[in-house]
Amino acid sequence: MRGLIEKDLRLTLVRKQTLIIFLVMAIVMGLSNNGAFLIAYLTMLALVVGTGSISYDEYDNGFPFLMTLPFDRKTYVREKYVFSLIAAVAAWCFGALVFAVMDMVRNNGAGLSEIPMMTAVIPSMYLATAIIVPLQLKFGAEKSRIALFVIFGIVAVLAIGSSSFLADSVNPFVSVINILHDLPGAVTILILIAVCALVTAISYLCSVRIMENKEF
Amino acid sequence: MVKVDNLVKNYGSFRLDVSMEIPDGTVTGIVGKNGAGKSTTIKSILGLVKPDGGHVTINGKEASKLTAKDKEEIGVALSDSGFSTFLTVKDITAIMKKMYPSFNEEVFRRNCSSQRLPFDKAIKEFSTGMRAKLRVLIAMSHNARILIMDEPTAGLDVEARNDILDLLREYLVEDEKRSILITSHISSDLEGLCDDIYLIHDGKVILHEDTDAILGNYGVLKVNEATYEKLDKSYILSTKKDHFGYACFTNEKQFYAENNPNIVIENSDIDDLILMMTGGN
Repeated sequence: MRGLIEKDLRLTLVRKQTLIIFLVMAIVMGLSNNGAFLIAYLTMLALVVGTGSISYDEYDNGFPFLMTLPFDRKTYVREKYVFSLIAAVAAWCFGALVFAVMDMVRNNGAGLSEIPMMTAVIPSMYLATAIIVPLQLKFGAEKSRIALFVIFGIVAVLAIGSSSFLADSVNPFVSVINILHDLPGAVTILILIAVCALVTAISYLCSVRIMENKEF
Repeated sequence: MVKVDNLVKNYGSFRLDVSMEIPDGTVTGIVGKNGAGKSTTIKSILGLVKPDGGHVTINGKEASKLTAKDKEEIGVALSDSGFSTFLTVKDITAIMKKMYPSFNEEVFRRNCSSQRLPFDKAIKEFSTGMRAKLRVLIAMSHNARILIMDEPTAGLDVEARNDILDLLREYLVEDEKRSILITSHISSDLEGLCDDIYLIHDGKVILHEDTDAILGNYGVLKVNEATYEKLDKSYILSTKKDHFGYACFTNEKQFYAENNPNIVIENSDIDDLILMMTGGN
């Protein structure tokens, strides 16, 4: 696992110039917008980088050799989830730090109390990783994008369609949002973490199955 | 030791059905035409494809159930796959250090330097020969008991090929228990390295022989039609008709030399073996 993380870290740093541009853009956007956006943007960016490491493994027929290295396929899958999580947490911390510094300068630290609630960004966005990883392992980098568009398309159609045809009082999406809205912040975060953990566990099991059946 | 026991793999109408053994301390070569099944055999041994039947064991363990610890004993070099070409030798050194407890950084660095492989240049900027050398050096860097190499010298000039073969020979000299399984299109590479050769054709092993026996006992008889009719064909493995008569491939050239002193007998090499055993009538 350590070797795989080292590999993904070094492959990520290959794009350090692009990453620096993104970080500078994030800081500039954070200065002109609110800090919550900055944290969410950086976390999302880190998750894109995390799942993008599968494309690097796939590129140039890299998988056959990679799979001869000393780890099993389950470990490979686990590392993808762990690496994405590490990247997301690191990016969130960086975003929170920039947010805190800006808030101290601008508002004398008045907005610092918002930071704990912003941890909700990590499980919310990690859900996307849980969807992307098995798709990418199954269909490869190119085809998984199409699959992802189809899935998000279906979700969008369901959400928009339900709001057009159903009254808010019977719309399940609205009911869930209302329930979450009424709960205390900490409980909402705990529910988000629980949902994220459940989806990730299912996603992990699917990914392991995909990898174990894969031939290189 | 690697044991391939009635391995079966089907790809549409192609069927691979092979058995072979690579004992400790030996260098075994697999030869055959393109599409004969060499790479599929290697991939099955490495657990990269799932056999439809039979068993592949490495040091007594089923290939599909090899643990990380078991895999540390195997060094692999594939012709068409390796570490990401965005990485540098320096990156690979750091990765290998964390992948293999027995990774010998000092030797790896020394070998890379002696082969003039730059440490800070991305592999994508390397020449074909440099990439091939790096793949072999990586496979040899962690004290593996067995090296499994699929066409490690493919596409290289004679100097680069010799460099790689020298590296492999040095690796064998360091520990007599080490073994190598290697495939190659270039028969002269295998002649100077392998103890025994498997010839695969249309998914089947059609010949397994010691390299010394191939070079010492096998030969090609060049005979005209009249001589061919009278020839004792007990030791003729295959015959090919050509412009001058017949080319007969034998595994007992001494027998024909003694009994037919007037016929032309050419010494054979692995290329003749492939041509005559897979293309003859």
